[in-house]
Amino acid sequence: MAYILQQLLKKSATRYPEKTAVWARERSISYRELDERSNQLAHALREHGVKKGDRVGIYFPKCVESVVTMFAVLKAGGVYVPLDPAAPVDRIAYIIGNCGIRALVTNSEKKGALDSKTQASLEFVVLIDEDTKASNGTTVMPWSVLSKYDGRSAPSVMLTETDLAYILYTSGSTGRPKGVMLTHQNALTFVEWCADIFQITSEDNLSNHAPLHFDLSVFDVYNAIEAGATVYLVTEDIALFPVTLANFIEKKGITVWYSVPSALTLLLLHANLDAAKLARLRLILFAGEVFPMKYLQQLANVLPQLELYNLYGPTETNVCTYYKVERNRLSSMDKLPIGIACENTEVFAVDDQDQIVTRPGDSGELYVRGPGVTYGYWGDSEKTAKMVVDNRFQKHFQEKMYRTGDIVVLGEDGNYYFTGRRDSMIKSRGYRIELGEIETALLSHPAVKEAAAIAIPDDVVSNRIKAVVSTHDGHAVKPTELQQFCGAKIPKYMIPEFIEFQENLPKTSTGKIDRVRLAQESVRTLVTA
Amino acid sequence: MNAANQATEVNVKGQIREFVMEHLASAKGVSSFTDQESLMDSGVIDSLGVFRVVSFLEETFNVRIADEEISSQNLKSIDSIERLVLEKLKR
Repeated sequence: MAYILQQLLKKSATRYPEKTAVWARERSISYRELDERSNQLAHALREHGVKKGDRVGIYFPKCVESVVTMFAVLKAGGVYVPLDPAAPVDRIAYIIGNCGIRALVTNSEKKGALDSKTQASLEFVVLIDEDTKASNGTTVMPWSVLSKYDGRSAPSVMLTETDLAYILYTSGSTGRPKGVMLTHQNALTFVEWCADIFQITSEDNLSNHAPLHFDLSVFDVYNAIEAGATVYLVTEDIALFPVTLANFIEKKGITVWYSVPSALTLLLLHANLDAAKLARLRLILFAGEVFPMKYLQQLANVLPQLELYNLYGPTETNVCTYYKVERNRLSSMDKLPIGIACENTEVFAVDDQDQIVTRPGDSGELYVRGPGVTYGYWGDSEKTAKMVVDNRFQKHFQEKMYRTGDIVVLGEDGNYYFTGRRDSMIKSRGYRIELGEIETALLSHPAVKEAAAIAIPDDVVSNRIKAVVSTHDGHAVKPTELQQFCGAKIPKYMIPEFIEFQENLPKTSTGKIDRVRLAQESVRTLVTA
Repeated sequence: MNAANQATEVNVKGQIREFVMEHLASAKGVSSFTDQESLMDSGVIDSLGVFRVVSFLEETFNVRIADEEISSQNLKSIDSIERLVLEKLKR
């Protein structure tokens, strides 16, 4: 049984050396090539100073080199940090500084876009394209040089399963993203559960729709590799166009699809899904946001031959509960459960009397314990202490559990059902968004006096974002100016779509911005900016 | 080409650009883009934006865009969108 992720590749490369491991943008590599290339890059990283535990950034649009790099960093004993190629450079620079990334695998365009201070802080940069403009003090190496390194074996590094494998950054309520630390054990707990319940084999073709900094991709990549299957990385030129995407699923013979529900809804509404054409698709997994029942029901009807699973879990635990869609019950359900705990994970709801919920109908905050749970946030012991807490229900030894902030109710059927958040985190298109992060960005604009970010519920994407803003001394600011300002600080999917100005924001009796009232007003009178 | 067609051609690109700028680019914090660059790569058009563009084109130019025509080739850039519309107007 594998205890570190790279062992999955080693095993499959031995068994299926010539099978296609990864496909992306009309290119593909075999298991042998993936194994050899990642060995070479791992040696290059070690030679240039990467030591066990060092963070290495991966910063370029998805392609076969993405997976090569993930394995290379692991083989070098490092911790990879996938950096969103669509995020503003400011945010990337923050993350690089926050977790001390000194080695970066990127392309020349992305490297050039980073500010000079960040570039200077890097010691070693590998460019997947061939442009090699040298930088002061930074060693820059083009991908082609990798062939001079040993591809037959990985560097010798002693790792245990509790060593970090990767860090995934998520939205932070105080305005800065936070890095969730994940160990090999965390990842394998999830991967092994998936392998067992979904029975992925070498005959499967898995798609990878999610960005690589989003933990859905952990299934796509590692479960494909574990089984000797092929993973097809879906890029924007395909993903954004439903008919193109449906044709892709058909032509590539995708057998397992995992994505956020909104991607499935767009396929359903615009791609003329044909069960006969998609006969090879046997399994659809979805996670990240609530799937509106009407669309799920329609999808199930259009594709009667496959199994559907709702997977739930924050980045801090990856998937911790699951629900297999019961087709015979579907038309009579108005809410889809998040289900029951995955094997090797335990979940329970804690009510406001601090008691574990056991009775159907009772609700509480969902807690998770087990080897899938993160040890915390990089460099943020304060936030870690708040969310990764001592398991006070464990009387015999010390262990941690993660408080999800999700309120759930225990159903009569034994499944948990999601009912709401404890705080102001929302989902939009499956993306996790702390409204506070948006407000912090707005407030940093010199003309803005007060700002509130409100979620407007939406049929397809769960939520759209509106900002209500007041300015100093009635200074007029155009909504587009604020949006542009935000664009330099927060990812595009967080930028408020609608901006409304009020002279002063309404307050509650305790003097805080009355967000509830703003939300209620907004739903009633939606006006496009 | 008669005068009416010439006028149409001049307006098409301008109207497309204005719509994309006002309704899509701004909401993504993007202030400028060329006629040739990929609006997907720059993040101006996302999965919802694709459909807003299609609705706009259908309503503004009185054309019908089939699901199969909603593709990267047709909607990638201002130039490609213009080309798509002009082809439809010719018919």
